[in-house]
Amino acid sequence: MRPLIEAHELSKRYEDGALALDALSFEVWPGQLYAMLGANGAGKSTTLNLFLDFIQPTSGEARIDGLVVHERPLETKRKVAYVSENVALYPHFTALQNVELFTRLAGRRAPREELAAALDRVGLQSEAHDRRLGGFSKGMRQKTALAIALLKDAPAILLDEPTSGLDPKAGRELTELLGSLRDEGKAILMSTHDVFRAKQVADHVGILRSGRLVAERDREELREVDLETLYVRAMEGDASETAAPAEAAA
Amino acid sequence: MTGGAVGVIVEKELRDLFQSPRFVVTFGIVSLLVLASFWLGGSHYLEARSEYDAARAEVLRQLEGETDWTNVEPIVHLPPSPMASLVSGIGHDVGRTAIIDPGTPVQAEASLYSERPLLALWRFLDLEFIFRVVLSLFAVLFAFDAISGEKERGTLRLALSNAVPRDVYVLGKMLGAFFGLAVPLLLPILGGCLLLLALGVPMASADWWRLATVVGAGFLYLAAFLGLSLLVSSRTHRASTSFLILLVIWIAAVLVMPRASVLAAGRWVEVPAVDADISQRSRLAAQLFRENREAMMDMLNAEEGGLRIELASETDTGDIEEPSPQEQAEAVAKFQARINEFLTEQATRQREALDDLDTRLAERRRNLEDRRRRMALGLSRTSPAATFSLAAMDLAGTSLDLPQRFAEQTLAYRNVFESFLREVAGGTTGGIRIVVRTDDQEEPPAPEPIDPSQLPEFQFDAPPLRTSLAGAAPDLGLLALFALLFYSGAFVSFLRYDVR
Repeated sequence: MRPLIEAHELSKRYEDGALALDALSFEVWPGQLYAMLGANGAGKSTTLNLFLDFIQPTSGEARIDGLVVHERPLETKRKVAYVSENVALYPHFTALQNVELFTRLAGRRAPREELAAALDRVGLQSEAHDRRLGGFSKGMRQKTALAIALLKDAPAILLDEPTSGLDPKAGRELTELLGSLRDEGKAILMSTHDVFRAKQVADHVGILRSGRLVAERDREELREVDLETLYVRAMEGDASETAAPAEAAA
Repeated sequence: MTGGAVGVIVEKELRDLFQSPRFVVTFGIVSLLVLASFWLGGSHYLEARSEYDAARAEVLRQLEGETDWTNVEPIVHLPPSPMASLVSGIGHDVGRTAIIDPGTPVQAEASLYSERPLLALWRFLDLEFIFRVVLSLFAVLFAFDAISGEKERGTLRLALSNAVPRDVYVLGKMLGAFFGLAVPLLLPILGGCLLLLALGVPMASADWWRLATVVGAGFLYLAAFLGLSLLVSSRTHRASTSFLILLVIWIAAVLVMPRASVLAAGRWVEVPAVDADISQRSRLAAQLFRENREAMMDMLNAEEGGLRIELASETDTGDIEEPSPQEQAEAVAKFQARINEFLTEQATRQREALDDLDTRLAERRRNLEDRRRRMALGLSRTSPAATFSLAAMDLAGTSLDLPQRFAEQTLAYRNVFESFLREVAGGTTGGIRIVVRTDDQEEPPAPEPIDPSQLPEFQFDAPPLRTSLAGAAPDLGLLALFALLFYSGAFVSFLRYDVR
């Protein structure tokens, strides 16, 4: 066994000199959900972009199933499903047409029943399957995008702010879905602002500030701390308060 | 996977396009315009053909009752062609008739636009115009957001999060946009072909080939604009920015550059006005006339003195002896012969001098006009729109060569007609003919009317398809190069495109 998603001393400095990531390291194993928390500009999206080969690292490596992403981008992309924030998909296509298209782009041909089952699983009502996406709410579009990720059936899933803009019911359904995917053995990396959902579903939480991982807690540790307080203090730069309990005891 | 991914992207492009309102609108407009252009072209051809037949019949009718071939000045006509009606080029600007008058230059006149200036106001709605202006704009509309729009929608990230290489993605985009434009365009074009058949337009097989190659050139032209749109779209991150940039480029390429090229060439290579040449010729003619008159006066004075001496011969006794009438007549005849010889020499010298000037002026004009034309066409070929127009006109036989071809063939016909006149009327043609008739002759019999069917027929030969293709080949190659260059630019840009 090896981690499916792995950042190793991952750094990214943009052309304008801004350091977006500074020696980031973490691992996400099969059957784990890792939530990256952080303010805007903390480096969450940069991390996901590095795992998707949308940008190249300045140093370090992003690895998927042991393969270095920037060295073998196409192979690693086969092992990753991605759900982006605010995806609009194709407004002239129905939900089924959208999921069919992206499933075929992922290299699979799924029968209509399988496509419909994926939409059912993410909670999109059957009546909406043949409706054009132009009239969908953000939550419905998000569900369609999740169905696309499910149908790819990749071992690793990357989610960019998946709960952003969702109503509480949709948020809870998403949490349940992510929990079941984790239970199926998927490795899930999720960037989010949503401390509540992160605590609810994550096995590990990492807090990013200015490109650095300033705090990291596993599920056991999360039971002992108030994640919201930890997050606020991490954002304020209080190092002592954000150290892990073991580190603090030492 | 790669081939499959291209297919998936092409299929997606087509489905996305066919389900979008902009496709419905553009397809409707294109269908209407294409069918209208075929109908107008076909109808115009039939009308022109009927006018042409009537005009030829009128030429023969006017010969009826004529008794002397030397009085005949036949009129030849440029026959209409179905392709010239579909791609008018400069066909409507070229004089369609020419009067054949032996010994005088042949001048084509009566172009369609000179006879119907209203038509010249907005020119013709033909296939070339639809491709060059309307469809190129639709190509921009189809592809301006190919990359930047996908980025704005977030679908680019989603698509490229799969194992889809960027080169495959951009190729799929290009092919999708091309087929999305070309396939629906074929339907009204096929409909237009059926319309031509229904109207009874006699399209020869060479005409069908010409039409097919014009449509092929049109597709190359559209590929160039799609490639350009893809290039701009892959250099920008907002669809509105791509559209604005492309609109400016479209206006420059389609509306400004071809016209500006001709104007710029006109500025750089100045060809003297025809009036300036005429004025120069007139000055030389006037100068020669003065010189000749002076020489003639000197000659006359000298000859007159000689004549007087010849007529007034002195006797041995010192008296002036009157010559006999016969001697007088002989002396005057000699005098006249010398004068005539002198005048003929003068006229010959004058004609040679003027001919020499005419030749030099014509050569200079031809050289300058050739240079200006080469420069204008060379500059205009920087625009795909001008390149397509030139290719289409070459293929349809309505290029800038048409007036020259008509002039050459009318000139050749004039020579044929002159030979014919020599054969049927005898003697020389042109100039003044003097018929001497003395009173003691009997009244000649009434002349027989001529047989109009003897008149040699003028047959205008359009360039063969192979020649047209050879003429259009450089422009077709250039169009392909434009398409390839723009697509390559899009390809390279997209490889580095920031999809975030």
